[in-house]
Amino acid sequence: MQLPKLLLQFTLLRLNLKQIMLLNEIKDKGHYKVLKMDESQRCISRLMDMGLLPGESIRVRHEAPLGDPISIEFKDCHVSIRLKDAAYLEVDHISESAQSK
Amino acid sequence: MDKPLSTIALIGNPNTGKTSLFNALTGQKQRVGNYPGVTVEKKSGVWKLNPNESLTVIDLPGTYSLSAQTIDERITVDVLSGNIPNLNPSLMIIVIDAENLQRNLFLASQASELGVPIVIALNCWDIAERKGIQIDSKLLEKRLGVPVVPTVANQAKGIDSLALAVKKALSNKAIMVRPKWPESVQEAVETLKKDLSDINEASEKLSNGEVQRLIFDASSAVTDRLKGDKVLILEAINTAKETVKKGGFHPNAVESIIRFRFLKPILADIIARQATLKRAIHTESIDQLLLHRFWGLVIFVGMMYFVFQSVYSWSGPFMQLIEDGIAHVQSIASSALATTPMLQSLIVDGVLSGVGAFVIFLPQILVLFLFISLLEETGYMARAAFLMDKLFQWCGLNGKSFVPLLSSYACAIPGILATRTINDKKIRIITIMIAPLMSCSARLPIYILMIGIFVEPQYGPTISGITLFFMHFIGVLVAAPAAYFLNQCIQRKSIATPFVMELPRYRVPNFKNIYSRIYESGYAFISSAGTLIFAFTIVIWALFYFPRPASIENEIRTQNSVEFLDETRLQAKIDSTYLEHSFGGRLGKGLQPIFNSAGYDWKITVAVIASFPAREVIIATLGILYSLGGEMDENSRDLRASLKNATWEDGERAGMPVFNIAVAFSIMIFFALCMQCGATVAIIAQELNWLWAIGSFISLSLIAWGASIITYQSINFFL
Repeated sequence: MQLPKLLLQFTLLRLNLKQIMLLNEIKDKGHYKVLKMDESQRCISRLMDMGLLPGESIRVRHEAPLGDPISIEFKDCHVSIRLKDAAYLEVDHISESAQSK
Repeated sequence: MDKPLSTIALIGNPNTGKTSLFNALTGQKQRVGNYPGVTVEKKSGVWKLNPNESLTVIDLPGTYSLSAQTIDERITVDVLSGNIPNLNPSLMIIVIDAENLQRNLFLASQASELGVPIVIALNCWDIAERKGIQIDSKLLEKRLGVPVVPTVANQAKGIDSLALAVKKALSNKAIMVRPKWPESVQEAVETLKKDLSDINEASEKLSNGEVQRLIFDASSAVTDRLKGDKVLILEAINTAKETVKKGGFHPNAVESIIRFRFLKPILADIIARQATLKRAIHTESIDQLLLHRFWGLVIFVGMMYFVFQSVYSWSGPFMQLIEDGIAHVQSIASSALATTPMLQSLIVDGVLSGVGAFVIFLPQILVLFLFISLLEETGYMARAAFLMDKLFQWCGLNGKSFVPLLSSYACAIPGILATRTINDKKIRIITIMIAPLMSCSARLPIYILMIGIFVEPQYGPTISGITLFFMHFIGVLVAAPAAYFLNQCIQRKSIATPFVMELPRYRVPNFKNIYSRIYESGYAFISSAGTLIFAFTIVIWALFYFPRPASIENEIRTQNSVEFLDETRLQAKIDSTYLEHSFGGRLGKGLQPIFNSAGYDWKITVAVIASFPAREVIIATLGILYSLGGEMDENSRDLRASLKNATWEDGERAGMPVFNIAVAFSIMIFFALCMQCGATVAIIAQELNWLWAIGSFISLSLIAWGASIITYQSINFFL
């Protein structure tokens, strides 16, 4: 039963090269653009109160020694967020050239 | 002059220098208390505008938003909307960080809906200027419609212009411009207000700002104070949220989107950055080092070692000084009152020891708060929490618990006070509850005594070292599941606040702020916990002093005509007998059966009870009970020999030695886990309430009791 499902997923992945990236899955530090945020989460409300809204660009700056939390910067604001909260942010990588606005 | 002063409130984001401004306005004329019903610190002071006019200033907790997720934010909304009795601020000063205008103005914009006149203090003007950020405050003032006053709070600059602006705003009631809300939001606010008024008339008085909070916040704390049927109220709120949704916005997100969109044109051309790209470069390069995955950790360990040593050993000389001072006064009082033995004992062993019992903690508290306020002022505290957070996540705590728990390894009193740096109420409670399990320095004498007699001679120094290490570790083994359990229990009642923590830029610490932090913590301790600790000491003294029939002494003296003891040993024997026959002594004898399966005879049980004011008292009490006098310490040869040779007086174990390795471990485990520390009980009552204090005493006593029985029985079983 699992196999056809997996195959389907695989083909979908191949077709859709630009897949959804969540902030907790980010491997590299650097600049990202926030695409979507799950508004129903409290941590997201908090980030929104601080001025992080969809469309905003963020910079992933540090990772704690034990891998969690990470620190991100937006609008002159440097905050620490846990990976489980970062999972509610959908982001996209901003290329080097686009960064230097 | 006699009419009550008008009240103004101070609000702002954390790390904006709000406290500095409060200190600059009110000087040292501050009062610290609590808001009714909650343990949120209420700070107020008097601001002398000029020789004839004064205002009461309330310093509200630092917050990013009025969306009442935390108790602090809720208090802010409650105070500003006049829902706290006798607190009706007629104006608010919003402190805004000049370097971070947009985010800070978001809070101002939220507050503007509550209908209280506003004055904006544009703080950290100097830092912004130094970084090449120029802000057109006049233009901003014009666009916002409320006074905008540049200040440098930590140098008390701009205070005079702030005073003028406040006076003016109080008379003309300046209100800040508000965003134009989408139709759907306007409709939702109006309908909800009407619906709520229909449910209960009292809701007619709600301001638009309060109604907005009900709609925009996931679970608004404002709901709690609405009168009327809760089900109907929730229904009305949900209808309003649906209305917003129909307009194409998520109710939780619409506020941020609209307000930030509204602020953008207001801020256009207000900020001019000079071409120099020095922006925050300073903080960023420091973070490169301090948050580095390896070097950051090395520096962290170094700093924490420093903090720990400061409490553990550097405050030692000061504590010695206090001890010597008390001992000196005791000896003077002792000889002055030699003719009235009861009064002598009351003054020397009751009153003076009682004073000593709490003054002794002052050096540790003051020294720890010096370092804690330094760490907070510089901005490192948030980094420390960032580095350590992962360790605490699984049991519902966060990185901010690290410093208080580490300090508790020296002493739980400053450790529990240090939890004031934790802003999440639930996490603070859990941290306070497990702090007494960290093996503090008062347990060390007991470990040394027991290991010295029963482990080292038989098993050598290596095993002794391991034992000592293990004893320091066992508390954590119990604390971790305890924290997990507490988290599960409290979680049902309150939803966890997310751990989204700002890492503020580094600053040069402000001397005045550090001073007031240290002063406040010391003052709170002396005035609140200090009195309790004093009372505990007196009660325990009375328990172990009375009754004291002269017949006991006479009888022993008559017997002595046969035994011929010298006067010192005779006195020690008399003291021992008095202690045995005191209320406390009888209580211990009565309770001995409870501790029987832990291997304790009545003497150990009495010593356990007598050590309630402080754990280390057990050693002096054992000294008295074994007729050696109260001046014994853990290294005394006499005491060690007496314990080794002690035998059971009666019962099935009569004639067998009381102490063996099983009893030694049973005692050590008991003291590692128990709450035989009146000062800790008092400080928990001070920081939380009596319910938590008594609850933690009972639960830790039960845990310690159970663990000591398990220890004794299993060692006996295996050896």
